[in-house]
Amino acid sequence: MDANASARLKRRIATVAHRVGLFLAMLVICLPGLWIVLSSLRPTVEIMAKPPVWIPQQVSFDAYVAMFSGVGKGGIPVLDYFRNSLIISITSTVIAIAIGMAGGYAFARHRFRGKSAMFLGLMLTRTVPGIALSLPLFFVYAKLDIIDTHFGLILAYVALNVPFTIWLIDGFFRQVPKDLAEAAQIDGCTRWQAFWQVEFPLAGPGIASSGIFAFLTSWNEFALASQLTRSINSKTLPVGLLDYTAEFTIDWRGMCALAVVMIVPALLLTFIVQKHLVGGLTSGAVKG
Amino acid sequence: MNRLLSGVAAGALLLVSGVGMAQAADLPGKFPGVTIDAKLIGGQQYEKLYERIGEWEKATGAKVNVLSKKNHFDLDKEIKSDIASNSITWCVGSNHTSFAPQYPGIYVDLNTLLPKEEIDAFVPANIAAATLDGKLVMLPRAQFDVSALYYQKSLYQDEAKKKAYKEKYGEELAPPDTFDEMAQQAEFFANPPDFYGTQFAGKEEAINGRFYEMLVADGGEYLDKDGKPAFNSEAGVQALDWFVNLYKAKAVPAGTTNYLWDDLGQGFASGTVALNLDWPGWAGFFNDPKSSKVAGNVGVKVQPKGSSGKRSGWSGAHGFSVTENCANKEAAASLVWWLTNEDSQKLEAAAGPLPTRTAVWEWDIEQAKSDPYKTEVLQAFQEAAKNAFPVPQTAEWIEISNAVYPELQAAILGDKTSKQALDDAAAKATQILEDAGKL
Amino acid sequence: MKARRLSAPTLLLLPAVIVLAAVVVVPLILSFYSSFTPFRLTRPETFFTFIGLRNYQRILSDWNFWVAFGRTVLLLTVALNLEMLLGLGLALLVEKATRGQRVLRTIMMFPMMFSPILVGFQFKFMFNDNIGLVNNALQSLGLTERAIPWLIDGKLAFAAISIAEIWSSTSIFAILILAGLLAMPKEPVEAARVDGCTPWQTFRYVTLPFVMPFAYIAMTIRSLDVARAYDIVKIMTDGGPAGRTELLWTLIARTAYSDARMGQANAMAYFSILLSIVFTVYFFRKLAAARTQIGAEW
Repeated sequence: MDANASARLKRRIATVAHRVGLFLAMLVICLPGLWIVLSSLRPTVEIMAKPPVWIPQQVSFDAYVAMFSGVGKGGIPVLDYFRNSLIISITSTVIAIAIGMAGGYAFARHRFRGKSAMFLGLMLTRTVPGIALSLPLFFVYAKLDIIDTHFGLILAYVALNVPFTIWLIDGFFRQVPKDLAEAAQIDGCTRWQAFWQVEFPLAGPGIASSGIFAFLTSWNEFALASQLTRSINSKTLPVGLLDYTAEFTIDWRGMCALAVVMIVPALLLTFIVQKHLVGGLTSGAVKG
Repeated sequence: MNRLLSGVAAGALLLVSGVGMAQAADLPGKFPGVTIDAKLIGGQQYEKLYERIGEWEKATGAKVNVLSKKNHFDLDKEIKSDIASNSITWCVGSNHTSFAPQYPGIYVDLNTLLPKEEIDAFVPANIAAATLDGKLVMLPRAQFDVSALYYQKSLYQDEAKKKAYKEKYGEELAPPDTFDEMAQQAEFFANPPDFYGTQFAGKEEAINGRFYEMLVADGGEYLDKDGKPAFNSEAGVQALDWFVNLYKAKAVPAGTTNYLWDDLGQGFASGTVALNLDWPGWAGFFNDPKSSKVAGNVGVKVQPKGSSGKRSGWSGAHGFSVTENCANKEAAASLVWWLTNEDSQKLEAAAGPLPTRTAVWEWDIEQAKSDPYKTEVLQAFQEAAKNAFPVPQTAEWIEISNAVYPELQAAILGDKTSKQALDDAAAKATQILEDAGKL
Repeated sequence: MKARRLSAPTLLLLPAVIVLAAVVVVPLILSFYSSFTPFRLTRPETFFTFIGLRNYQRILSDWNFWVAFGRTVLLLTVALNLEMLLGLGLALLVEKATRGQRVLRTIMMFPMMFSPILVGFQFKFMFNDNIGLVNNALQSLGLTERAIPWLIDGKLAFAAISIAEIWSSTSIFAILILAGLLAMPKEPVEAARVDGCTPWQTFRYVTLPFVMPFAYIAMTIRSLDVARAYDIVKIMTDGGPAGRTELLWTLIARTAYSDARMGQANAMAYFSILLSIVFTVYFFRKLAAARTQIGAEW
């Protein structure tokens, strides 16, 4: 009886501790973000106040209205930036995943000579800091005349993302027991069918998370984009953030508003895609 | 006409020169079928002007193709990358007097392309700052920057403060006219961490520029006649000590060595800083109740004097240039003229920035008649503009700046003495100039 | 049969190799060459002057370069380790939650939606000593009377940068480790419980070895990608004041563009690449070891 009660108490304490811990963690994660959202809604006089104004006094959507109101009225070509960001991020993510799946599968399922070296070599291409890459890349792009095009940025982002999509997907394919695919092949599937029907769904979480990664990397990348884009033809949202800075001034509220416009779609997409992190991962399937 | 012809000879565009522009009245001219590629500075407050590009296209029949629109520093990076990869294929570029010396030879002399009376309509000091080795490399737009002193008026009307100040220093409390007074008052007003006497930009070209103008105001030179670094002089130490002592006395926020212009503006607007030497771009912001706590309480005065009796006046102006590689230099020059002509400058100046044409200054002051704050601002800045001078016109200015500012910071933070820091900085600057073959 | 198996991986890897060669390797050769020239952006002709190892000699004998180098290593070590620990904790917390998984996971990834330059601005304003959120909060709560100079004092600035970096990147560890936890077969844990292991033992000897490869994947990805912290540091302090927070990347960027000394900057960049390679190879080894531990084949 006594042991039972103390066990129950222990479990309850554990639950409460877990809830509190979770709440605190989420708070720390959210606060800086919420501060950005709040900043976009409040007049600057309240944001940068001293003594601080903790409870918003005036809330308005002025910054958002201004953002869309066109050149000269505080507006920026946000729709163009948005379109560019969307096209570039989605295309480069899809391509990076396709290439990553091929590469990851090769590493996880095949034996070949120089495999480790090859793998390491691919990864090391990613070690080049963007800041060191941007100028030589600019030279090459200038010669090929693909500066300020969607294609140029997509190509760069695919290269940026491929090493880690390969890596991640390789890791997840490795977790899928080899016997499953072999069993399917014995059951009369071709290797291709076995891949799509057995291994692919099981590696789903890996593909989903590498997809999220690749998308967010492209969506937020700044160093290369600022060098390789120039006008509304290809400027992406992170580069657009700097439209709110002038030589001496910064419109922090406007910048926050644009940041919110940038974050919301990424958040929605993550919310939708993260379902697939678990999709196809019913415990039965894993048990095979 | 001679000048015009020599310009045209290079352009090999005799057809267009037939309808050319010997007279100011002919501007903007006609350029049907011509396309001008342009790189413009972006940022919402500079954008209003670009709507006028459409009118120019209509008037001339030419087309403008905006290749890139970026903030100032990224544009600088881009132009340098273009020089490096030999891909200056465009005609018109945004420029700035502080950056212009770094782009050797890529821009044409606008004197050869535009009638003299048009150039004479600009404020002579602005034209001088835009002239490098006798070449007028850019026409300044109405984005001229020189600093003036913003202050909180209420501090000077407070009887208790007046009395305390008089007792302590034996002088009347009034907005400062010299940097010594400014420092003294800053220490008097300061009450950290709630209130500070003043503040200064503490990094990058900003602190170097502030040091530079203080040095000039104290009678020193940054580079001497032979182009050698000369800022580690007695005047230099005195100038740097001004910053060091304010920091030591905690009259400025402790974070000031990491501040750039945006932090300064936000700081003064938050009502926690008494005196603020700052740019004209903030005038509207400071007096707008939506963005500033001190709205309605802002006074503006001409910059203080240094120990030599000279006023500080580090200045810069945005402008537009035409490239040497441009195939239609007349059309490009016409566009540059258009973006800096009276109507364009009025459009920009109406939103706050300072014009660079004499006529627009007068117009601006006339417009502000009914607005006492704006009148005060314009009068202060017009006075301040008289003391304006550009940075030393050497291609290495920014590089020297980058080598010098960490040393200035080291002195301000107390890691080094002022003399030591300036000697080290001068050694680095000398090395840079030697590497560049200038010494 | 054997010949066909050999060609399959080649075929599968070809697209990756082509893209990487075009975007990374070719530019890299260019920049490697330019590190032996006095190349200045504003004077293109200097690209063709060969000066041998002079750039390398200069940076190697520059004390400031080594300080920046050391500081970069320190920042990486501190940030990566803390990120891994916090990420692991976060993943476990989220995995344990019985309700609201979707929302929790999305919130967990929230910082990843922030572009690094935005993170830079955000934390710069928060850590502003005069009107920043952090000091305002501390003063309102009566914890301090002073205006703490977060971005000025060398150690505090290092901490502030680390906090910004950790805030923005812990999610990456958390999401990967969480994915690992989700992919984990349930039997070993149940078996351990049946065998009478305490929760801690189960975690230490069953769960942890299984998720470690994922942690190392995250670690490696991060060590490859750390240079993106550049955007944050650039905005927050840009290496200052007085070089107190100078990192390799801020030094390289300033030398390359502001000073326009591309040749010298590229020499520095090669050093920073070397650094990344060392980190990467190290974690790569760890990864391989962790994998053998859980018996995955290599």
